[in-house]
Parts: sequence; C-alpha cells; structure tokens
Amino acid sequence: MREYFEGIWAARYFWMHLALSDLRSRWRRSFFGILWSILQPLGTALLLAAVLAKLFATNIRSYAPFIISGMIVWDFVMAVSTGGSLSFVQADAYIKHYRHPLAIYSLRTAVANLAVLMLASLPMFIWALIARPDRFGFSWLGALSIYPMLLLIFWPLITLLAYAGSRFRDLPNVMMLLLQAVWFVSPVYFETGMFRRAGLNALVDYNPVFHLLQLIRAPLLDGRWPSAVDYGFCAGMAILFTLLAWFVGRKVEKRVIFYL
Amino acid sequence: MMTSRIRLTKVNLHYPSVAYAHRSLMGLLGQVIGRGPRTPVLKDIHALKNISIEIQKGERVALLGHNGAGKSTFLKVLAGLYPISSGQVEVAGSVRCLFDISLGFEPDATGRANILYRGLLLGLTPRFVRAREDEIVAFADLGEFIDYPLSTYSTGMQVRLAFAISTFIGGDVLLLDEVIGAGDASFMIKARARIGELIRQSEILVLATHDLQTVSSFCDRGLVFHHGELAFDGPTAQAIPAYHELNGIPHV
Repeated sequence: MREYFEGIWAARYFWMHLALSDLRSRWRRSFFGILWSILQPLGTALLLAAVLAKLFATNIRSYAPFIISGMIVWDFVMAVSTGGSLSFVQADAYIKHYRHPLAIYSLRTAVANLAVLMLASLPMFIWALIARPDRFGFSWLGALSIYPMLLLIFWPLITLLAYAGSRFRDLPNVMMLLLQAVWFVSPVYFETGMFRRAGLNALVDYNPVFHLLQLIRAPLLDGRWPSAVDYGFCAGMAILFTLLAWFVGRKVEKRVIFYL
Repeated sequence: MMTSRIRLTKVNLHYPSVAYAHRSLMGLLGQVIGRGPRTPVLKDIHALKNISIEIQKGERVALLGHNGAGKSTFLKVLAGLYPISSGQVEVAGSVRCLFDISLGFEPDATGRANILYRGLLLGLTPRFVRAREDEIVAFADLGEFIDYPLSTYSTGMQVRLAFAISTFIGGDVLLLDEVIGAGDASFMIKARARIGELIRQSEILVLATHDLQTVSSFCDRGLVFHHGELAFDGPTAQAIPAYHELNGIPHV
C-alpha cells in the first residue's frame, strides 16, 4: 500500500502533466478558451433558474445560486463517472509501456475535472455574494472544503470504475443511466423543500448527494458551516470507496493490461 | 551498486480469455439469460510455457521466433508489465524498454514541449529533462521544426524525434522490441550508432527482432521461442540455424 503511494508520488510530474494537457486540449481549441468553462455552466444555470423559478414559483435571486451549485457539482460527477470509467482505456498506450501505478490515471481525470469545477464555481460565489451579501462570512471557508472532499471521494471511485471500465467498455452508458436515476431522487436542481413537502424526507436526510452539496450550499445560501452530519456522510463515502478500490485493486490491478 | 541479473523460474503466462470474450455488460447479460448471438468458446492462451532461464550481467541476448512465439510477451514479463500465472521472475537493475517509440506524443504541442512530456513519462524530473534538452534537439536534427507543433511533422520526422527522446537515457537492463530501423538512410546510420551506444552502456541487453543481421552483430546468446516454449538456448551462431530448422526455413 505504502509502496503504491510512493509510486504515485514518484510519477507526480507525469500525471500532473497529463491533467494539464487534458485542460489545455479542452481550452486551446476555442477562442474563449478558459472562459468557456466559466460561461457555459453560468449560462445554462441562469436559463434553468429563470424557467424553474417560474415553474416552482420561487425567488430567482436565491434560487439561482442553488441551481448553479447543484449544476456544477453534478457536471463534475457526470464527467468523472462516465469519462472516468475509461481512464485506463484512454491511457492504454502508457500502461502498456511503463509500470506506473494505475491510480495515477484516475487521479489525472479527477484533478483535471476538479480544475474545471473550480473555474465553474467562480460565478457561483459571485452570484451568491450579490444575491445574499448577508450570508458572507467565515463559513464560506467551509464551502472550499468541497474540493478536497470531492477528490477524496471521487479519486477512489474513478479508480474502481476504471478497473471495471477496462473490462466492460459499455460501463459509461450504465453509469449515465444510474446517475440519471440518482439525479431524479436528489436535490440537485429541485429544492430540498419540495422533497420534504412531499414527505420524502429520507431522500434528503440519507442522501449522500444532498450532504455533499450541503458543503457549499450551507455556507453560500444559509451563511452557516456545513454540519458534522454532512462531513460524516462525505467521509463515509470516501472511506467506503477507498476500501473498495483497494480491495478490488489488489486483485485486478496487474491484470488490467490484458484488457486494454 | 547492484549487479544486474535476470532470473526466471518455471514461468507460465496465460492471456485470460475474458479479455476477449464478453467485453460489454450487455453482452454478459445476454450470455446469462441465454439470449444474444452464440459466440465460440474461447480458451485462455498459454503464451509462455514453463520458461526457466538466467541471464547474467554482460550478456547480449537475442529473442528469435515466429510471430506469436512469445518474444514480446517474454519482454513484457521482464519489464514487469505482464503478471505471470505461475513461477518466479527476478529482475535486478534499472529496466529501460523501447517498445513502441512513437507513444505519448501530443499533436498540439511543439517538438520541444513533447521532449519534456516524454521525459516525464519515463519518470524523469522536469529539471533533468531540460538539462538534456539541447542534446536531444541536436540529435533529432529537425531544424526550426523543433518549435513547431507536432501535427506539422511528417511521419519520418516524428519517428526521429521519438527515437531521439526515447534513447537519450539508457538503463542497466535494456529491452528492445524491433526498434532498430527508423527514419531515412542518414538517420538510420545515426540511429544504429545510438542504439549501439545504449547497448554498450547497458549491462544486459534483450532484443527481439526478425533481423538476423542485427542479431549476429549485437548478440552473443540466442533464445529461440516456439509456440510459447523455449526451444533453444545457446550461442547465436547455433541459435539462428535452430530457428530456421524449427520454422522450416531453408538455410541460405
């Protein structure tokens, strides 16, 4: 285990370069480049907020930050779960030639997408500041904790998916379907109040997606720190996925090369 | 300093059949419920059969054999890339493999940037690569193109750059798979000289090739593989006829 992490550390320049090159190729080809990563989610969120605020008869000023926060995090989750399943497949040329720990390739996916998420969250902070300046305070530091938390949760999860994805190439389709189901039963776009009014409290209280989103929503929308329960759920996911990835990896890490 | 050595004891390697059967969850599902197209039953491929061998420091070993005989698989086992099904593999010394040299290029980046990327892939630090950059640029000899994006390169130019990068650092144990023979005639001469230099610096060379000329000029020991088995092990002068005989090639 320790040796494995030493290998990841030793290859740090390599996977950092891979993550950077992912970002470069994402941004280089367009005129707006980096700006697209900021504008695109912002535009979609505003559009959605305008429509949904009317539909659900809520106030757009406070609803928009809710939508943006849900959307950018969900975009991240979608990107890493579908694209991440192919982390090893995509890196097959490297894997077939150099014996780096495979987790560097899932780490690359996680880091690159995290960078995109950070950019995309800029308008969210700004909007929240404009819409609810009274909520600004030290608790906003809590919102920043979502980034390391996402890394801790999704790096092992992507690794797991990538192991499976090298064996079953249609895993991204399956993940898409699964995530759609999760999306419908989670307060990503729909306000938590809607679930509670319908008597679906369990879908909020025991939903890890809800608690994950609370890491940014509690500070930005309510001006308070995320709760211990929120962190508990997140840490629980991180630990669960890490153990699973370690358990599965012990068995299949070396055999992945046969499936590529 | 550690002395380089390779020792394989009763090594078997199977390519698992699952790697080419049911490649999708849908396919697997179809299989389970008994629907979907019937696929022929595929067996595991026994690619290396009970190989025991020892290679000492200073040896120059050639791998001979028909396509699919197990030469590349053997090299990849030595490189630690393939997990073996049984037996033991010990490889002491730093291993450098040259298998597919045009791997890991970024078409949008310049030749110079790609030198850095490739170096990082090999596990080097940015500082080290930059220190050696001029040397690589000089060897690739691409003129001003070194500062152009890779996508503007011809295939030959890419090969030259790839070759210059992959060969600028050697290792104690050098594993080569059919890499001799890159670029145009003038570059070929340089490339051969460079490979020769790498080979001289290395403590152990293992080379898989079909070019018997190369075998006799570089290697003193020949291993002949035949359908995954080690059919002959001895001096190259005898290994080449043995290889011919096994494959029914008339002597020239």
